[in-house]
Amino acid sequence: MNIKTITATLALTTLAFTLSAQAHSPSEHMQDAEAPNCAAMETMDHSKMKMDDPMMQAMMKQCMQAMHEGDHDDSETPDEPEKHEKDGDTNNFKHKHK
Amino acid sequence: MKSYLKSLALTGTVILLGAGIYLYSGVYPMGADTPHNSATYWLLETLRERSVVRAAEELVVPADIKSAERLLAGGADYNDMCASCHLKPGVTENDFSLGLYPSPPNLTLSDSDEIQTQAADVEATNAAIKRQFWIIKHGIKASGMPAWGANHDDPRIWNMVAFLQRLPELSAVQYQILTARNKASKGHGH
Ligand code: HEC
Repeated sequence: MNIKTITATLALTTLAFTLSAQAHSPSEHMQDAEAPNCAAMETMDHSKMKMDDPMMQAMMKQCMQAMHEGDHDDSETPDEPEKHEKDGDTNNFKHKHK
Repeated sequence: MKSYLKSLALTGTVILLGAGIYLYSGVYPMGADTPHNSATYWLLETLRERSVVRAAEELVVPADIKSAERLLAGGADYNDMCASCHLKPGVTENDFSLGLYPSPPNLTLSDSDEIQTQAADVEATNAAIKRQFWIIKHGIKASGMPAWGANHDDPRIWNMVAFLQRLPELSAVQYQILTARNKASKGHGH
């Protein structure tokens, strides 16, 4: 082994090590990502939902995305039964609130 | 006058000596399961609050602190990094909330900070928001509260602050929906 190889190896392992310890981006939490339980929105008291409330908007946004994602990314959603239910329900939900 | 100064110096020396003996004797109960006496508690709390108020004074709260985007981003982070100590709707205690001293305030309760009690006063709300930002970014010495600023930029911390403003009113179901990490929300290309 010449000095260049050693240096390169050292540099690379150091880099790898540094990267592993760096600021974790939100995407690193994805492994234990949990799908939002949007079916439950159906059971909420709709008369109390205010559409101009950012909290409501955030929940809607979250569920629209979950629904959309379900269209083409089936393999990674953890619990299947709930997902099917969710797909159906959130569709209705969307129509009601449009 | 001379004798007055003399006795003052003597008193000072005795106090220092006593403090030194106490310190080295090991009598002080260091365990987290022995609470401070009320004088020490008051002293530490006052020290903390005065320090944070002064340090947070110059902060400027972002205009969009109430936005849905901030709520979503902050909610997911809160669930990952903070709920283990500060709890979430439906969870009233866990190992950290029981075992840490000072104990992490339950941030799902509206009375855990001044925001709700003085909601009428915009100025006070603003101050409470800045206080939260500062505490999250810098942490609190000799408590379980870490400084998150080392690894997280300011916008991310403001997002969590935004989420904290709504946390006390969330039901367990609403909390779950808001904090679930959507793979789709992280812009994986379409
Ligand atoms: C390991 C436990 C732990 C974790 C994790 C933790 N905290 Fe804390 N936090 C504490 C403790 C303990 C205190 C109280 C410190 C004190 O009383 O001096 C505290 C205090 C606070 C306060 C001040 C509360 C008040 O009104 O007095 C805020 C706000 C806060 N934490 C937010 C957060 C956020 C946001 C996160 C996640 C990014 C977080 N904490 C993660 C332990 C923790």
